[in-house]
Amino acid sequence: MDAPTTPLRGPAGGSGPAVDDARDAALLKVRDLTVTFRRRKGSVQAVSGVSFDVARGETLGLVGESGCGKTTIGRAILRLLPQGTSATSGSIEYGGQDLGSLSSGGMRVVRRHLQMIFQDPLSSFNPRRKVWDIVAEGLVIQGVDKQEIARRVDAALADVGMSASMVEGRRPHQFSGGQCQRIAIARALALGPDLIVCDEPVASLDVSVQAHVINVLQEIREKRNLALIFISHDLAVVRNVSDRVAVMYMGKIVEIGEADHVYARPAHPYTRMLLEAVPMPDASVKLKPTSVDREMPSQSNPPSGCRFRTRCPLAARICTDVEPPLRRMPQGQLAACHFPYDEPAPGRPGPGDPGIPGDAS
Amino acid sequence: MSGSGIQVDRRGPQVSQPTTPARGPEAVAKGRSLLPEADAPTWFAFGFLALLILGAVLADWIPGLAKPNLEVGAFSGPPALTVNQLFGTDALGRSIVSRVLYGARTSLSIALFASAISMSAGIFLGMLAGFYRGVVERLVDLYANTLASLPPVLVILALIAAAGTSVFTITLAMGLLGIGTYARITKGAVISQAGRDYVLAARALGASDVRLLAREILPNLVPTLTAIVPPLMAGLIVTEGSLSFLGYGIPPPAPSWGGMIAGSTDLLNRFPLLIFGPILAIVLTVYSLNTVGDYMARRIDIREGQL
Amino acid sequence: MTGPGPSIGGNLLQVEGLSCEFDGSRGVARVLQDVRLTLGKSMTLGLVGESGSGKSMLIKSILGIAPRTARVTGRVVFDGVDLATLKERERRKFLGRRVGMVFQNPMTSLNPFVQVGRQIEEAARYYFKLSKDQGRSLAIELMATVGLPDPEDCYGQYPHQFSGGMKQRIMIATALACKPDLLIADEATTALDVTVQKQILDLLQTIQQERQMSMILVTHNLGIVAGRTDEVAVMYGGRIVERGPTEAIFHHPRHRYTEALIAAIPRTDQPAHTRLRTIPGRPPDILRPIPGCPFAPRCPVAEPRCVESMPPATSDGDGRHGYACHVPVGAASGGTGTPGLASTDAR
Repeated sequence: MDAPTTPLRGPAGGSGPAVDDARDAALLKVRDLTVTFRRRKGSVQAVSGVSFDVARGETLGLVGESGCGKTTIGRAILRLLPQGTSATSGSIEYGGQDLGSLSSGGMRVVRRHLQMIFQDPLSSFNPRRKVWDIVAEGLVIQGVDKQEIARRVDAALADVGMSASMVEGRRPHQFSGGQCQRIAIARALALGPDLIVCDEPVASLDVSVQAHVINVLQEIREKRNLALIFISHDLAVVRNVSDRVAVMYMGKIVEIGEADHVYARPAHPYTRMLLEAVPMPDASVKLKPTSVDREMPSQSNPPSGCRFRTRCPLAARICTDVEPPLRRMPQGQLAACHFPYDEPAPGRPGPGDPGIPGDAS
Repeated sequence: MSGSGIQVDRRGPQVSQPTTPARGPEAVAKGRSLLPEADAPTWFAFGFLALLILGAVLADWIPGLAKPNLEVGAFSGPPALTVNQLFGTDALGRSIVSRVLYGARTSLSIALFASAISMSAGIFLGMLAGFYRGVVERLVDLYANTLASLPPVLVILALIAAAGTSVFTITLAMGLLGIGTYARITKGAVISQAGRDYVLAARALGASDVRLLAREILPNLVPTLTAIVPPLMAGLIVTEGSLSFLGYGIPPPAPSWGGMIAGSTDLLNRFPLLIFGPILAIVLTVYSLNTVGDYMARRIDIREGQL
Repeated sequence: MTGPGPSIGGNLLQVEGLSCEFDGSRGVARVLQDVRLTLGKSMTLGLVGESGSGKSMLIKSILGIAPRTARVTGRVVFDGVDLATLKERERRKFLGRRVGMVFQNPMTSLNPFVQVGRQIEEAARYYFKLSKDQGRSLAIELMATVGLPDPEDCYGQYPHQFSGGMKQRIMIATALACKPDLLIADEATTALDVTVQKQILDLLQTIQQERQMSMILVTHNLGIVAGRTDEVAVMYGGRIVERGPTEAIFHHPRHRYTEALIAAIPRTDQPAHTRLRTIPGRPPDILRPIPGCPFAPRCPVAEPRCVESMPPATSDGDGRHGYACHVPVGAASGGTGTPGLASTDAR
């Protein structure tokens, strides 16, 4: 793993990544992360040169369509990618330690601080275990003594609004989807982590249950000063939970910054496209069908220059020839676009709203 | 959701107990049964195997049952209503009932020990191959495919020619030949398990590879394996029978099903009944083992469906 | 071939007293209870409910494709024909031609071994006795309609050669082949990315308007039906608890469940870490329904009578906005609001 030792910042030209608000205090520093999967027909770069920081107690939302590499980033941070078929380069630093250089024993110690929650809680539980043992498993693996395990399992269950007596003797399939996701959160919490990677944690839940799980996560985050990387395709959920947001397209971050800035004045056309597509529970705007747009190109053969150009309404010659680096926008966030917008978000009130041209309202 | 920081409803007489998850209307509460949802053939298969195993194990203590090599009646005598002559006597006047039961002892223990050899080595190799993939997988595949491409009876015959015939040689030979099958089935099951989130989750908690394989994945292979072991054992019983039939199996005075069939062929036109006992034993055993395997497979599907 | 009549205003679908039960070993599961529903010609209805609310079973019961173990009672009238008067084969033929269905997972509906063009034309060739060439040109025309690039080339391709969004377009083409009067999309966009979801919803809306079909969007996502449907019906515990013009449902929900559901959705125009409103308790147990409102045990303002008796169907204003609640939201305010003016208070 050859990693740049000094954080790169500023509007770097060419391939050098600009890093959003590189802070010395950052809990997690990801620099120039690239992940390549070997497939039968050649290899696919799932993540290409991604850099970002996560500070203590901060939530970074990672959004994008399926196949954009957001899940791969989450797994790369926890070193959960299949070793035989994937190759990772760049550096992932947690609390000053380069995770790539750690032995598996050293990594085990770090795992106490870095945890993960999966999309489908039920499938993330060993079907042959009871719930209490599932929550306790991490502590058993980490060699914590029995009394301490019992204490910490109880505390973790209490934090998610459950109790040992509720789960006693029960197996995961006896609980509802929302309860299972809370059990999964408790399992991650039991180790006392500083950062949890949440991979689509509410995507498979009903709306009313989703709200509950989000609230539980938020309470715990405040109480324990947790940092979260919240991976989701749902921009509304990400808006609710995130302090900062990174928008990914085909393995690259195309826009990253304070969530308030990104949502208020999205600069990258892709961010705007995503925001426009979010179904809003708002019947005051009668939606008009807009033109058919193109699909994401093949992962194994990404377009030259800007990868979004094949779907971009603003694409010009330069977009084919030159890949735009991440640059600071007037609003404060970084975006990788030759022709960034400097306008309020589509569907938001404001002058010169380019959102829906045909809409009279 | 009672007690989840949520006030338990005070008016509603209906709020369901927390144990029952909201599932489809077809969700069925099953009463405890020895064999849940077993049909008649399954009951028969389990019953037959239980009796056969019991008979084989307890043959020495069955009152009045003669030793298999003892002359108890006329040469090729007809069935009669005594313990020893129930299926008649063979060409040397020995009790066929006794020889079938003692033969079962040989056949079943060969099948059992050979399976144990194949299983332990096969599961080990299969787990490594499925978990680590890459070179390990290719080597295991090569081994398994090589074994699979050899005609088993011929290989065993060659081994016997080299090492001499004995129960030990036959068991070992059949055990070694079976490794490939178990390795391949295990590998497939491990590949499907290893990609699941629960394995990833355990890894995220810090579990080592050994723990992942032994504590997370292996317990989840048990259902798949319990379903394939009975039919594979049936195959072993047939192979052992064929070998004995050809005269390369269990050395003659000792009772074996294949040997009994072979011994009675000469007299087939005069005493067709002689061949009946051992053939029935083989057919029913193989049928029962396969039925048990099917039942296990059905149970897995049901359980998987519930997850 | 009977073209879709342009008579706007008549009812295409009328459902009365529809109930559906299953016998289980733990008792009778009441999946649908006394559902009443009407759908006007060339109207779009959003059928919204969380998992287990019975929305998919309602569609199946209406179309007579509920599992054989289900006991379905009630009256379904489709375009003036009482379906109970038809024999099963006749009904299947009748609905097969007049109703198009699009499901959540196109992979289970498309045959992986048959060219997509053939799958699209299959039903139309059967119902309209089309020749091979006629079928082919119909399929190609439909593929162009649903926005498949190069329909001529697509005709001979197989489902696995298409992305999820494209497969869903193929499903839509298949559903349109017989020129149905009603198109039902059952969670048709749930598995898709937001951008693709928007494309598919736009497509459905365009086709619905061009062909003047009726359409039912079945979904758990209120955001999908907002701005895209004329009316919304909200299901809970096997009942339709509220229905009415889409704007009225979103701006002046009357049923407590509808209100809570809308409030539980995170929105992009709320600041970060806004605490979401949750619905306490758990979904109703269909094995043991209470005599009253199914939402009563989770309702913040429920009174004893809510548990004891089912609230009668009540309606607002011109009768288009109906709900069944003893303690409706804003009992004093009433009225559905004038379209156009209602939009101003959304922010």
